[in-house]
Amino acid sequence: MTLIKIRKVMSGIILILFILLFMGPEKLSVGLSDILLPFQFVPALVQAITQPGALFIAGLIFILLITLVFGRVYCSFLCPLGTLQDLLIAGSRRLGLQPKHPFSKPHNGLRYTLLALTAMAILIGSLSLVSLIDPYSLTGRIFAHFLQPLIIQTYNLGIMALKPFDLYWYPKQTAFVPLSVLAVTAGFFLLILYLAATRGRLYCNTVCPVGTFLGLLSRVSIFQFMLNQKACSECVRCANVCKAGCIDPQNASIDMSRCVGCFNCLNACSQATISYQRRQRQTNIDTWSPARRGFIIGGVAASAAGLLAFNANIRAFLGADSARVNPPVTPPGSLNTTRFTQTCTACSLCVSVCPTQVLTPTFMDFGVSGLLQPKMNYEKSFCDYECNVCCKVCPTGALMPLSLDDKKLTQIGEAELLKDICVVFVDHNNCGACGEVCPTHAIRFVDKENILYPEIDKQYCIGCGACQLACPTVPRSIVVHTNAVHKKAEKYPYNLAPPRVTPKSSDGQHISPEKTVEQKKPPDKDFPF
Amino acid sequence: MADTRKFNRREVISKGLSLGLIAGGAVILGKPDFLAAKEKPAGIPDLVAVKNGEPDAMFKKAIELMGGMEQFVKKGQTVVVKPNIGFPRVPEVGATTNPLLIKTIIESCYTAGAKRVYVFDNVVTPTSGNARNCYKLSGIEDAAKAARGIIVPVDDFSYREVTIPGGKKLKTADVHSLILDCDVFINAPVLKHHSSTHLSIAMKNLMGIVKNRMEYHLIGLDQCIADFCLYRKPDLNIVDAYRVLMSQGPAGPSNPQSANIQMKKTLLMSKDIVAVDAAAARIFGKEPEDISYIKIAHAQKTGNMNLKELKIVTFAM
Repeated sequence: MTLIKIRKVMSGIILILFILLFMGPEKLSVGLSDILLPFQFVPALVQAITQPGALFIAGLIFILLITLVFGRVYCSFLCPLGTLQDLLIAGSRRLGLQPKHPFSKPHNGLRYTLLALTAMAILIGSLSLVSLIDPYSLTGRIFAHFLQPLIIQTYNLGIMALKPFDLYWYPKQTAFVPLSVLAVTAGFFLLILYLAATRGRLYCNTVCPVGTFLGLLSRVSIFQFMLNQKACSECVRCANVCKAGCIDPQNASIDMSRCVGCFNCLNACSQATISYQRRQRQTNIDTWSPARRGFIIGGVAASAAGLLAFNANIRAFLGADSARVNPPVTPPGSLNTTRFTQTCTACSLCVSVCPTQVLTPTFMDFGVSGLLQPKMNYEKSFCDYECNVCCKVCPTGALMPLSLDDKKLTQIGEAELLKDICVVFVDHNNCGACGEVCPTHAIRFVDKENILYPEIDKQYCIGCGACQLACPTVPRSIVVHTNAVHKKAEKYPYNLAPPRVTPKSSDGQHISPEKTVEQKKPPDKDFPF
Repeated sequence: MADTRKFNRREVISKGLSLGLIAGGAVILGKPDFLAAKEKPAGIPDLVAVKNGEPDAMFKKAIELMGGMEQFVKKGQTVVVKPNIGFPRVPEVGATTNPLLIKTIIESCYTAGAKRVYVFDNVVTPTSGNARNCYKLSGIEDAAKAARGIIVPVDDFSYREVTIPGGKKLKTADVHSLILDCDVFINAPVLKHHSSTHLSIAMKNLMGIVKNRMEYHLIGLDQCIADFCLYRKPDLNIVDAYRVLMSQGPAGPSNPQSANIQMKKTLLMSKDIVAVDAAAARIFGKEPEDISYIKIAHAQKTGNMNLKELKIVTFAM
């Protein structure tokens, strides 16, 4: 009773926090990302391997420890996809779609193969498979690609309705998501929906690599669920409420590798035949071989992956980054394309928090080894100079937490001016749209017969894409090319302003707002007309 | 960001406190000087220029010399005040219209009997992302709200297409419905350097009421800026030349410490958008005929850039 209540309250709070993480204003998202994400298995694992930091290593150890002590409680307490499924399962039970959950046999072949394949894919430097099926990343995409647009569009409709009453609120924008990516997210969402509505936690026990891996640990956990065969009347009440379908009353066995630790069975049993207690030494974990074999396969694969993942050379040798002719621009903090594609699990958290919606999840732009990973989409938006929120929320370390000052000097790409189509060079008309929006003054103008011709000072360019977005020509006359390895841009020397302007006041001092307020000179009373 | 804004607010408050003194001093010291120097002209002058005051005091003086806000705003009318809020910058950068000036204009409109006063600008998206940043940072949202101005964030659904009569390059424009529906349109730009048109003043500020501004860039920026004035000229233009951004315009640097500012402490007011741009160009230190769109608009008879032919009233505080 109490354990179930604790689970419901805790998992409910965590799910709500996850929704806020993806929907919330920037500050809330950044704050929540530090609290929630270290306790998600895949982000913690990837971050611990690629970017070892105390917080995420502690989170990973915590998850492993609680699993070794209590079993797969992670799946019922911490996993947002688990809670989402529990809600769907409860809903389907209300609707009578699935009133009971009979015992079902495990799909060992499928689940251990998927775990091994995932491990092998990581090993050769591709996170594609884990991106697709990892419960956290999958939840992230469902929130970012469906829930957020739904909420924002509802909000926008609401504020439109208030306009006639002279009540004005700021409309909100949603990130662009390509149809192919939407289809993938929708496909998995429907799969989850179907499985949860009809088969309980089958996804967690068959597809989810985290569930399968933690299941291996859970088999030897200190606390386990026990079915006392002698006292059991085989009323199957416990089995009926088991969402994982892992209680077999006929054989009085509970498959701990599939038990998600929801505690429903404890409450269902009228005779207290089911108990949650310390595992006895003599319990028969060795009677069942497929799982044991899977355990060995998984263990070997995981340790091999762990060893190899550290070694970039081995990963590169194994064909980590697929050769690409024109790779997209990667977000600031990703350092280089290869590192980015080998670290991002495509959770779309950066996509949902980006205030300018410049991040677009891609289907295959990064090749097969980088499915669904986000790129900087300068045809849709630009990167705000005063923002580094994506770097602050990234849970896997794919985007390093660059400080705003560092981010302002990180050249993720370089603008190129195509003078053969630029209207100023073609028509000899002023345009200057690119220069107006350049935050680093990398675009300067050369005055020839009162026409201002743009030129790029590439050392100041950080590749934010504002110029490309602003350029009015079709196709654009200024485009940003990616830096496969991010560079450092030069700081614009404001005190060495271009010669065509006069940065000095009459007394030769550079005027700052403070100084001018206290000017003591008698004011000039003449007008130039 | 937060720090600069705090600084800004503090500055506004301290200015507010010192306003009484300055305004009082201006009235006592300034008025006799004015009476002695010039005679009050009969009728409305073509252009009024005031200098050496705070933005609100200069505006009050200028509108008085113009014959009072009642000349422009009648009882029960709706007014749109269109400042330049195009960039996410604090007022100290000089990229946006002074918030104190906007506040005083709104107050003046309500005093003259306006029913509603709207404030909006179509912000330059690739620098700010959203209007919220610009409105907040510029201090204009808070200033306008303090004067009961209605701040309107623009969206894509508020525009209606109009035909430009006699437009040489700009044939049609998608104009914000507030402009099309209001009784009085007050243009309140800031004078600043502009990388593509040399200067941004009153005519350039009208690019913030249309949706198809990028078309201007594509088909001929200067001509389109001038062409739009063939459709509708503002009823009054009030140019803020208090704190003038002399380079790196129109955005200026995000850090006000890096901004190349000259304290011109000047305010210009005119019904003639070409004349006010010409006068502002002089204040900046440029000749009106060097600014293409001023020259074109003069040639298209939108207004008069020959300042010598105009009845100009000047006043130094």
